[in-house]
Amino acid sequence: MVNPSLLIGVPLALAFSIPLFGLISKKIEKYIPIAALLINVVICFILIPQVLEKPIVVSIGGWSPPFCINLVVGPLGIFLTTLISSVGFLVSIYAVSYIKEEPTEKYHILFLLLMVGAIGIVLTGDIFNLFVFFEILCISSYALVAYNKDKEGTEAAMKYLIQGSIGSSFILIGIALLYGGFGTLNMAHIASKITLADPTFLFITLAFFITGFGIEAAIFPLNAWLPDAHSSAPSSISAILSGIAIKTGVYGVARMIFTIFNAGSILTFIAFLGLLTLLIGEMSAFRQDDIKRLLAYSSIGQIGLIVFALGIATSLGVFGALFQIVSHTLAKALLFLAAGYMIYKVGSKSITSLNGIGKKMPLTSFAFAIGSFSLIGLPPFAGFISKFSIIYAAIQVKKPIFLAFIAVALIATVVEAGYFFRIVQNLYFKEGKKLEKVTETSGFILISLIILTISIIAIGIHPQFITGLLKEAANELLERAGYIGWVLGGT
Amino acid sequence: MQLITILVVSFLGAGMVYLAGMISGKTRNILAVLVSLAVVILVSLTYNQKIYTSFYALPFLNLSLTLRIDTLSWFFAIAVAGIGFLSILFSLEYMRRYERLNYYYFMMLFVNAAMLGIVFSADFLSFYIFWEIMSWSTYLLISYKGGKAVAAGLKYIIMSVAGSLAMLFAIVSLYTSYGTLGISNLASLLQTASPGYILFLLLMFVIGFGIKNAIWLLHTWLPDAYTEAISPFSAVLSGMLTRMGIYGFLLIMYTILGLNVLHKLGYGILNFNYILSWIGAITIIIPTFTALLQDDAKKLLAWHGIGQGGYMILGIGIATSLGIAGGIFHTLNHAIYIVLLFFAVGAIEHQTRGVRDLNELGGLIKKMPVTFIGALAGISGLIGIPLTNGFVSKWLIYKTLIMENYPFLAFAALIGTWGTILSVYKFLHNIFLGQLPEKYANVKEVPWTMQLPMILLTLAVILFGILPGIPLKVISGIEKSFGIKPVSTGIFGMPKEIGELNMISILAAVLVAGVVVYLLFSLSAKSRRVDQYDSYAAGSFVPKDRYQFSVRFYDQAYRIIGPYLQDVVDDFYYWLVRKSRSFFQLVRQIYTGNVNTYALYILLFLAFLIFVKLGWRLW
Repeated sequence: MVNPSLLIGVPLALAFSIPLFGLISKKIEKYIPIAALLINVVICFILIPQVLEKPIVVSIGGWSPPFCINLVVGPLGIFLTTLISSVGFLVSIYAVSYIKEEPTEKYHILFLLLMVGAIGIVLTGDIFNLFVFFEILCISSYALVAYNKDKEGTEAAMKYLIQGSIGSSFILIGIALLYGGFGTLNMAHIASKITLADPTFLFITLAFFITGFGIEAAIFPLNAWLPDAHSSAPSSISAILSGIAIKTGVYGVARMIFTIFNAGSILTFIAFLGLLTLLIGEMSAFRQDDIKRLLAYSSIGQIGLIVFALGIATSLGVFGALFQIVSHTLAKALLFLAAGYMIYKVGSKSITSLNGIGKKMPLTSFAFAIGSFSLIGLPPFAGFISKFSIIYAAIQVKKPIFLAFIAVALIATVVEAGYFFRIVQNLYFKEGKKLEKVTETSGFILISLIILTISIIAIGIHPQFITGLLKEAANELLERAGYIGWVLGGT
Repeated sequence: MQLITILVVSFLGAGMVYLAGMISGKTRNILAVLVSLAVVILVSLTYNQKIYTSFYALPFLNLSLTLRIDTLSWFFAIAVAGIGFLSILFSLEYMRRYERLNYYYFMMLFVNAAMLGIVFSADFLSFYIFWEIMSWSTYLLISYKGGKAVAAGLKYIIMSVAGSLAMLFAIVSLYTSYGTLGISNLASLLQTASPGYILFLLLMFVIGFGIKNAIWLLHTWLPDAYTEAISPFSAVLSGMLTRMGIYGFLLIMYTILGLNVLHKLGYGILNFNYILSWIGAITIIIPTFTALLQDDAKKLLAWHGIGQGGYMILGIGIATSLGIAGGIFHTLNHAIYIVLLFFAVGAIEHQTRGVRDLNELGGLIKKMPVTFIGALAGISGLIGIPLTNGFVSKWLIYKTLIMENYPFLAFAALIGTWGTILSVYKFLHNIFLGQLPEKYANVKEVPWTMQLPMILLTLAVILFGILPGIPLKVISGIEKSFGIKPVSTGIFGMPKEIGELNMISILAAVLVAGVVVYLLFSLSAKSRRVDQYDSYAAGSFVPKDRYQFSVRFYDQAYRIIGPYLQDVVDDFYYWLVRKSRSFFQLVRQIYTGNVNTYALYILLFLAFLIFVKLGWRLW
């Protein structure tokens, strides 16, 4: 059996060995993240069948839970780890050709650390450990947003840093409150004792957690850092931030609400927040002329949909939310990567400057079009299945308020369709200017674009690739007794 | 299996055509023709078969995607396949001047494949999937030409997405209520549903299908889209794609709900069918007269596309066996003649290098006789002149309106025909008659691959005009499957009990009259042929190229009716878009760019959570 702690250990070790490899040859450095994440992907695929059979709990230091730091590799954890590793793997392939500005070795170290943080967050079973990984993720993203060293990036990183730190400190306060209340940091242990505490105390703690994770998860009104940060980071990092980093925030919120606090009564409010986030995101995206900002706002909208679906809190709703996480991660990564290279070729982020680029860069534009179609939710792409599941889940709960919610969400989809269809037309059907020198991408970049495109279509046509895992993952969130049982033993 | 084969051939065929285009243009063109022909043959082989097959399972939703064929779907499928084939044939020459042909042929075949998928779907999920595939591929094809087409495409797809989402809402609600999406299962389960729920379903579906079929209030995408799309695709769009809406109406109203349920919806005169009929009537009148004002040949046809759609809705809405037969038959007839007309305009456009303005053209009859014949047959069908196909279907609709005592609806339908006559006369005259402007002295007839589709369609217009029994036999089969009394029909027309209509006697009468006129003319004095420029006005010679009396033909009429025909609906949508845009701009300003505000948002959010919990105890 493979030890799941390798999922964190391998990237972490390789991240810090990058400077050592750099001593041998400068050229090797950029391939290290690819190797690390490839190993991770392989481990994940080995672990998935095992985890589906029986979740793995790894105790570190030889003590048994709750007295040690432990990793809980349940269906949800392994699903998110697989997603993070695969998308990270593809983005690192992209980065081989894309990242040219020195100091590239720092980029690669930070990138791997970001991956370590994200994987750690979803796997750990210890709430303080969670905080540590969360900080690793956040700090490496602050640095990476400013990687281009331009004014825009630095300013965005600064804003992100300020807001992110507020969030982290809120999480820390929440952890301190929990530790004070229960005297333990093991998540399952806290969860098992949660009913013993005073509801008001619990609520205030939960409020700190929701606000803290909500900042990273980009829930309205905590998401103001996102458009700046996602649009001024290097495109490979935008892809990771939009595709993965914000999802870890959502994971944090979901884990707190469902597993630890079992706060069923707040879920309708969470759904409402999600809906609000969706609306604000889509409406703000509509008027953007900067393509990366537009994609960033669209991420807000999509996150809103995910949070909304989580708020439905039926097994189908959570399933839809997780499916939406997959389809959004794939599509948004693809969009940022494709847009990133178009911007690189054209030299401008304005949408109108991309007019007519479809003739010069047919494959990249095709990838972009597929990504946008999937996000809008058109069949036969992955986004359709997830949106369909969410709509189905919302109507299935048979509560009038959710009917109203979903009607509004559908209207937001029309807005979303409005701007994505506009861009696709710009790419293909408008006359371009100054595109003589633009040529099609090649090599590594093309590989990652093609794999992402194919997986969007493949999942759209054959959703059964992932539905089994997603169902189990959704159950993990909804059945907290099971989670507690895995870690603490017994039932 | 057969249905799966058809869909596989049509979808994969589209992909193969794209790949073939990478080898050479010629291979691609031949393959495209072959694929579309193969689809026609495969579909025609399924005539009178009853197939039901499941082709794909989605276990996590507990659903499986299924296909079926019955008379209704066969009727639409064969029309889709036939028109698809003709339009590919027409494209061969027409598209020569355009680029990105691989893409073009791929999308044309793909759209047709999606339409076949729609009519073959046996459950609403497959239906929706194919419907959406059709919608986005249509958007890609409308936008193909660039320029103004881009805005037209966007307008189309936004409306289409709004419509499909309404439909999706209804579909999902059906699934949650009944646990199945199979059309035949729902047909029996919905018989006992409450009228309120049925009305909700119908409203949602009417939005979805009504946008596609461009009923009045939801029609505004159509004129731009038809006009700006490339002509062979305008033909497909107007012929069959828009009429997927009619297919949808028939499916939900008659295959699923049936007359018994429909009759329960509403009180007295305020029932669903009557209101739908009136929407149909309004859809006839306003757009048809708007067509009169158009100077762009394609736009004129586009507005007729909406108007004639009104006849179909009217026929279906009136819900008698004659009316439904008329509505379905008119769908087919309309497809035939409007495709013919769009081909004719395409031919003109092709030979005159893109001129569509009716005031610029004229006198092309001798230069392009085949196209003229095609256009003549087309407008005759459109007006509904006896011995052309449009006559029979309109006759059925008028007949039922009169027999069922709907004088106002009948009058509305009649007014529509007047408007049609006026406007298509202008269409024909301004293009083909009058003086030939000198710049067109070198215009030639189109090559045979463009003539052939027009000739075939001309023959079809006349064939179905004289022998309406052929399609009506299939249509009565459709009515049987709806569970309503099938319309009884003979090969030449309608039997006595409905009110006699016998096309063969009309044909005989026309022939005799023709012979008499011919004899009279040959007995009278010989006429003298004069050159077309040999014309005089007020006793003085008119210089060449100055005299084209058809230019600004209906100026006087414009001044009178123009103000009433302002497209207020379109204006309203634009107003809505403008307002929402400025509202969105306002919303975006939440993100001020100032990090102090952002930090404040965070603190306020936390404070709000705690305050609400402690102060209001909302949850």
